Amino acid sequence: MDAIRENIPLLLQGIGTTVALTVLGYVFALVVGTAMAVARVSPIPPLRWAATVYVEIFRNIPLLSLLILIAFGLPDVGLRLPYFWCGVLGLTLSSAAFVCENVRSGINTVPVGHAEAARSIGLGFFGTLRHVVLPQAFRSMVQPLVNVFIGTVIGSALCSAIAVQEVTWVTQTLNIRYAQAVLMFLIAGAAYLILSLGGAALGGVIERAVSPGSGRDRSRAGAALDVTAGAQA
Amino acid sequence: MTHTSFRPRRRAIVAAAAALPLVGLAACGSDTGDGPDLGGAGGGDEEGSPFADVIASGPVAEDDAVAASAWAAAIKEKDQLIRGGTVANQVFSLASTTGGQPTGFDAGITQLLAKYILGEGGDEKVEYIDTTVETRETLVQNGTVDCVIATYSITPERLDVIDFAGPYYLSGTAIQVRTEDAEKISGPEDLTGTKVVTQANSTGIQAAEEFIPDYDASLVQTLPDNESCVAALKQGRADAYVLDQGVLLGNSAADPEVTVVGEPFVDDPYGIGLSQDSEGAVDFVNTFLQEIIDSGAWEALWTATIGEVIDTEAPEPPTPGDLPS
Amino acid sequence: MSTTATQVLFDAPGPKGRRRILLLSILSVLVILALLVGALWQFQSNGQLDPGKWVVYLRADYIAFLWQGLWGTLKVTALAAVVAFPLGLLLALARLSRFRMLSALAAVWIEFYRGIPMLLVVYAFLLALPAFGVTFPQFWMLVIPMILVSSATTAEVFRAGINAVDRGQHEAAAAIGLSRRDAMVSVVLPQAVRLVLPSLILALVTLLKDSTLGYVVSYNELQFQGKTLVSITRYLVQTYLVVSVIYIVINFLLTRVALALDARMKARAAAS
Repeated sequence: MDAIRENIPLLLQGIGTTVALTVLGYVFALVVGTAMAVARVSPIPPLRWAATVYVEIFRNIPLLSLLILIAFGLPDVGLRLPYFWCGVLGLTLSSAAFVCENVRSGINTVPVGHAEAARSIGLGFFGTLRHVVLPQAFRSMVQPLVNVFIGTVIGSALCSAIAVQEVTWVTQTLNIRYAQAVLMFLIAGAAYLILSLGGAALGGVIERAVSPGSGRDRSRAGAALDVTAGAQA
Repeated sequence: MTHTSFRPRRRAIVAAAAALPLVGLAACGSDTGDGPDLGGAGGGDEEGSPFADVIASGPVAEDDAVAASAWAAAIKEKDQLIRGGTVANQVFSLASTTGGQPTGFDAGITQLLAKYILGEGGDEKVEYIDTTVETRETLVQNGTVDCVIATYSITPERLDVIDFAGPYYLSGTAIQVRTEDAEKISGPEDLTGTKVVTQANSTGIQAAEEFIPDYDASLVQTLPDNESCVAALKQGRADAYVLDQGVLLGNSAADPEVTVVGEPFVDDPYGIGLSQDSEGAVDFVNTFLQEIIDSGAWEALWTATIGEVIDTEAPEPPTPGDLPS
Repeated sequence: MSTTATQVLFDAPGPKGRRRILLLSILSVLVILALLVGALWQFQSNGQLDPGKWVVYLRADYIAFLWQGLWGTLKVTALAAVVAFPLGLLLALARLSRFRMLSALAAVWIEFYRGIPMLLVVYAFLLALPAFGVTFPQFWMLVIPMILVSSATTAEVFRAGINAVDRGQHEAAAAIGLSRRDAMVSVVLPQAVRLVLPSLILALVTLLKDSTLGYVVSYNELQFQGKTLVSITRYLVQTYLVVSVIYIVINFLLTRVALALDARMKARAAAS
């Protein structure tokens, strides 16, 4: 227990870093991913191709490979970011690919008639998306986006391989010093579970708020079967 | 025949790659880039190279001696020695992927030990399993490997969980910097306020903590492997890499951009990691070490490998069995 | 093929619209080209485009070296999948079971392994369990965590598949006198397994990506082998890019297979 008491600041710092990595990575991923999704359904062919290539690269590359490339590959071509931002960038790039596919797949759940109706009252591409399609699509996207969040939480642990001092790194270091492996793993495990289950619970609340009709379980099940959106590591 | 494409400061791998025969596609070196050959059939252990001569001259244990050690007898029984270590160190243990044996000081000790137990030709009956600083203890403990020979410093903490034969080489924790900074840093006293990188779970962390004046933990990065540490140093993420000299010498042998500076400032006696469950292992291996020291094989091996990167005579060999308390 | 919302977001453009799209297309091509050229320029100005540093990956010894790692990757992935998928099915059945205890246990297992990083599980196998005298060979210290984590995610896939089988099938099975269990085994499961096949292929992609954690236990998979290659050649960007491209290509192909299967099943469902 001393191992914990003496190192509370370090542990809190590690947990804080994990939260920061996750939140920043996830928020940026939402922005980038949505932009990519808009590009993928836009009438501009080169944008569609570019977004498709982006998705295929970043959902298929292992996160660890991506992080190592960003942290140690990019400096060799003249771009060096601090370790922490390497982690955020890696998480963003990877999660954004999944956000993009989930948003696109969500858009497809909106009845065709709605989009047609929107256009018939004179809304353009962006107007249709913003005012009619996306707000409805959001409902079916909540659960998949929760999955992306959990993926981001879990992925943040890999940042310890590039010297980001998040909670896995901290517990790992303390473990070497105090040889209290089990205790350390319990702490780290609890931190991750609280983050991911908390995120999932929050997602459930949001989902119920936007769509009183459907239960959480049902849509979570649907998300698991949605092949076009892909599964996140 | 002797075409290798390592850059100028490459004396270390002379031993490792003295006579790399170019195999297959690799033969068209100029057409296929100047990447180093990944070893070659025979590689540095080809007949006639100093390294191969050392292995060829290695002793073989009496059958009775092997039978007396349960550990050695088990290895003889399966006719294979499983060694944990790295195959990516230019001076101590460098891989060959095209059929040849790894070369280097640790690789030499490994092959001598295999020959000692398994008899003539035993040096080729080694299975090399990769271990890292973080995984060595576990893989010895659970019997995945018969022994770890991997620039492995004997420390009291490690002695708690595994046994060590040896020491078979006295190394020390040293400092590696970018070659252009070689003038500025010569010892741990110059590292105050410097960004330092080292490997997770290595002796480098404690060494830095103890010997850097006004040590600041927030300036120390730990990374999981040597490759990332070298990258961090070369890319300016850190200004000094503190680790055991054996690993660092391997790095500067392969890469002129990094240099080892000053003298080692903490003793790191290398041992051969063995499981505490292996009966008769430590004594058997110590007898082996004493034999190769007495026969001069140890010194010849040193000259053929480490001697290529250190400008001194071969040092006095350590006394096997003389463990730090 | 049914129409989806993405296909009706904009009108078939008239002459003016077409001109605008053309303009924007040219503009975006220019931007993308600029980005690519910028990236290449960065490589060039840092001396990383030197052909000598790239063509080596076509050499037999380099390919053989990387293949060793890829073989390791494929081995763990395949083995993990073979164990994890049936385990996931069992977990899904347990989760759907009427026995509260069993269902709750399965739920805890699933939420636990879904919510913690596999890295932590691997570390537990490497560092925590040996403290109790429980150890595994290197290979299993990677495979078992992969199995544990994957069983949780595939359990969710199977559960979704079972739920997606039409209720009428249960009722029909009950009507011809099948017990709940028989109905599950001989009516619902065969359909569910077909439904989840594409998702299982995606789970394979995830497993393949997770196998990169072999670096923790020094298991010789592709990423680890790439690291060793970097240490020998010092061609860092090149090696890691080549390794990443190998992963991307394999996973891309697997994803294509999943999508094709999915599309075929949807088409068949729509036809019937």
